[in-house]
Parts: sequence; C-alpha cells; structure tokens
Amino acid sequence: MSIAITSGRIVSYAWKNFARNAWIGLATVFVLVLALLSVNVLVGVSAMLDRAVTILEDKIDISVYFKNDTPEAVLQQAQFFMAGLPQVREVSLLNSDQALDAFKERHANDPRIMEALAELDQNPLGASLVIRGRKPDDYPFLLEALKNPQFGSAIESKTYDDHAEAIRQVRDIGASARLFGAILIAIFALFSAMIVYNAIRVAIYTQREEIGVMRLVGASSSFVRMPFVVEGLFIAALALVLTAGVVAATIAFLEPRLIPFFDGSDPGLRLFFYGRFWYLLAAEGGTLVVLVTISSWAAVGKYLKR
Amino acid sequence: MIRLEGVSKIYPPDVHGLRDITLDIDPGEFVSIVGQSGAGKTTLARLLIAEEQPTRGKIEIGGWDITRIRSRRIPDLRRQVGVVFQDFKLLPKKTVWENVTFALEVSGVPTRRIRDVTPQVLKIVGLEEKAERFPYQLSGGEQQRVVIARALVHRPKILLADEPTGNLDSINTRDIIDLLLKINAFGTTIVLVTHNREVVNALRRRVITLANGQVAADHKEGKYLLPT
Repeated sequence: MSIAITSGRIVSYAWKNFARNAWIGLATVFVLVLALLSVNVLVGVSAMLDRAVTILEDKIDISVYFKNDTPEAVLQQAQFFMAGLPQVREVSLLNSDQALDAFKERHANDPRIMEALAELDQNPLGASLVIRGRKPDDYPFLLEALKNPQFGSAIESKTYDDHAEAIRQVRDIGASARLFGAILIAIFALFSAMIVYNAIRVAIYTQREEIGVMRLVGASSSFVRMPFVVEGLFIAALALVLTAGVVAATIAFLEPRLIPFFDGSDPGLRLFFYGRFWYLLAAEGGTLVVLVTISSWAAVGKYLKR
Repeated sequence: MIRLEGVSKIYPPDVHGLRDITLDIDPGEFVSIVGQSGAGKTTLARLLIAEEQPTRGKIEIGGWDITRIRSRRIPDLRRQVGVVFQDFKLLPKKTVWENVTFALEVSGVPTRRIRDVTPQVLKIVGLEEKAERFPYQLSGGEQQRVVIARALVHRPKILLADEPTGNLDSINTRDIIDLLLKINAFGTTIVLVTHNREVVNALRRRVITLANGQVAADHKEGKYLLPT
C-alpha cells in the first residue's frame, strides 16, 4: 500500500467529512477559539503586568543632595565610587543649577514647595547625584554605600523614591491574574476536549454506515480512524488561524488606547506577541493538536471493534 | 479452503450459537448452508469473516488459522473473503462506480489499477451501463449485483453470501444465483447462506444443513431438508 496514495485519500476523506459536517465543525472551531483566546488574554495581561512592573522599577532612583560648598573633587569621587558598584545601573551628577531644575520638575505639582522656593533669593541646592540601581532589591545596599566616609559627610539629604508598594500591588495582581487565568484555561481545555470528542462522535455517528462498509471491504483500522483525526486537525488549524487574526486585531485596536495607562510608554503587547509569534504558535498549536488527536482517536475507537 | 474443527460459539450466559461444528469446504466448491432461523447460519458466516471469534475450536481459511486473528490482520482476511449481505450495505450517496471503487480506495489500491479493475467487475455483474447511477435508481436485484461487484474487486478466493436473495423477487433471485454460479465457474469458492428452499433445490450442489447449532446433514448434491 503506497503511503502517498493512502495519505492523499485520508486527507481527501477528512475534507469530505469536514464539509459534510460543516456546522458541527464550525461550532467546535468556535469553542476552540474561545479556549485559545482565554489563553492569549492571560498571556497578554501577564505581559502587560510585567511591563508595568518594569516601568515602575525604572522610575526608582536615589537622589543625593550635596551641601552647597562641596568641592568638585568630592563630587567626582562620589560619582566614581557609586558608578563602580555592580548594583548600579546609572549615575548622573547634576551641578546646583541642574539640581534646582530637577527639583522644580519633581515638585511641580506641589504649590507650597514651589512658593517656598520662590521666596528664596539664591539657589539653596548644591550638586546632586541621581543613582539608579539594577534591581529594586539593590537600593538598601546603595543607601548603605552612600554612608562612605569619603563623601558621606558632604551629603545634605537623600530622597529615595520607593515604588515598592506599587510594584508589590502590581505583582500581587499579576499573581492573582495568573492563578485565575490558569483555572480558566483548565476549564476551557476540559470543555474543549469534551466538545471536540463529542463533535467527532456526532460526525462518526452520521457516517457509521460508511465505517461499517469500510470495515467490511477490508479497510484497516488506521485508515478508518485517520480521516477523523485529520478532520480534527483541520478544525484545530482553523481555530489557530482565527485566533491569530482576533489577537492581531485586538492588539492593533487596544495598544494605542493603553499608552496613557503606561505613563506614555509602550504597553509592549505588539512587541511581546510578535516577538514570540512562533513560540506561541508552537506551544498553543502543539497543545491543541495533542488535545484534538487524542479526542478524535478515542472517539473513533468505539466503532472499530472487529 | 475452509476448515472448521470442533467449532462452538457460546453467547453469555449460556446460549449456544454453534455446537462442535467440523467441516471442510474445498477450493472452487459451491456450498449452500441452510437451516431454520436460529440454526446458526449467520453465526457461522460471522465467524468466517472474523466478526466474531469461536468460543472453542479452530477455523482455517486457505490454510490460515483465523481462530484468534489479531484485529490488524482482519482487513487482510476481508480482502480474501468477499461478503454479500441481504441488506446490501451500499452507500446511498455514492454512485455504482463509487461504491465499487470505494472498496479498493480504502484498501490503498493505486488509482490506475482501480480504473482497470472496476469496469471488469461491473461487466461481470452486467452493470457497466449503469455505473453512474445511484443505488436508489436501481432495482433490488441490481443493487445486490453492485454488492457482488464490490465483493469481487479484491478477487477474493471465497465469496460469502448471507441471504443474498432475501429481499428479492423470484426473477431477481434467479439472476443473482446465476451470477454466483458464473463467479463460481471462474474458480471462486461460494458459500451461500440461505433459507430459500427453491434456490437450494434448483442448484443441486453441496448442501450443509444446520439445526440447533449442529450439522444435521451434509450432502454433495443435496436438497433443502424439511425440518423433522
């Protein structure tokens, strides 16, 4: 028996089965699309939460204000020392004028501070050092490092913009969303498996006469079974394509509208989904193929007893 | 060609379909298996195509022991034993040509060979002019001839006909029996399961009579015996 001939006929029979039971097939596709969309919503929400955490983490810094009369050499030494620490991502040294501009910008929404500043005849601020760490966990260490006796005594004040609470909340939301999403995916996967199984069973029931004749005239079990499995794969492929289309359309619609919620930054949805397209396709498609194949295989088995 | 040794079939809990049947059918024979309803005719037919397995005993087809045949070998057996049933089992949405070629397609026969073989068997059964018709456009006799054509496409060594004339009038019955005789003349062993006395008596071929799951009589040029 030629594999090419047999494969061609299996695909041809599968297509005929699919066309004959188009409505059942489309209903199955619809359920699979819902299941896949729930997975992708979870993945997308997770990606956005990660992005929000990254943006928040990026905003954490330590501003170190030096006394007005601090010598340039001490400032340079402080900058050099801090920049040399592996926990430090970025250090910028601002002179007193730049420090004042930065202070004004930072407190632009606080009229009392701005009024108090206006009362002063001269710039009250000395130079300042803005330090950004690599990880939020690094900041306690960096605050300790600033106590270095070589320049510690020249420090007037320090502000530590701690977004730890916001980050913790975002992470908590992320964890809850992932848990809820995982439960949702499990339920959808179970429903999908049951629906695929029953859709194939209905398809087989409508063709039980043909299966009986196939068995009678010498068709092998695999030849009887494979068209139904391939039909299941058609359904899975269609569901994947439709889901990809819906996800792409949703990203195109949603992403520009999400930018304001990310403080003007890119929410990163497009980057996330398109950057991992093949990975997501392989993971979701692979799972779907396994699910559909097992369902189809099991559903046909009942009709193959001798 | 066909050998049964001490074959019994018991359906749970304790219904005897066949009891200790032993018989031989030679290649090229035309054998009628007769008996009243419940005598065990259909059980015997089902055992010959491995739709069921015997509870005891041994069955050989062409020297091949099919008593405990594995499921994956059943298709091979069914390509060697063509089957014709009373209820035709044709696919209503397929034409005569498609019903016949279907048997070859599902067995993986190359398309070119299908195109060669199908007209030949349709000619044997006299349906070459009606190849494009659907089953509902045919008479009962013609439908049964399509079934016979489908059974012949694998060139089986044995043709098992289980009540092939059960749904036919006397003229179509005569046609089908003539066709079976013609196929037998080509060398195919025919096993005709029937309760049609006229057919059996007219044939004057070997008759195996079953009663209560046992061989009650086996005559070389036999007749349908009246139940005693």
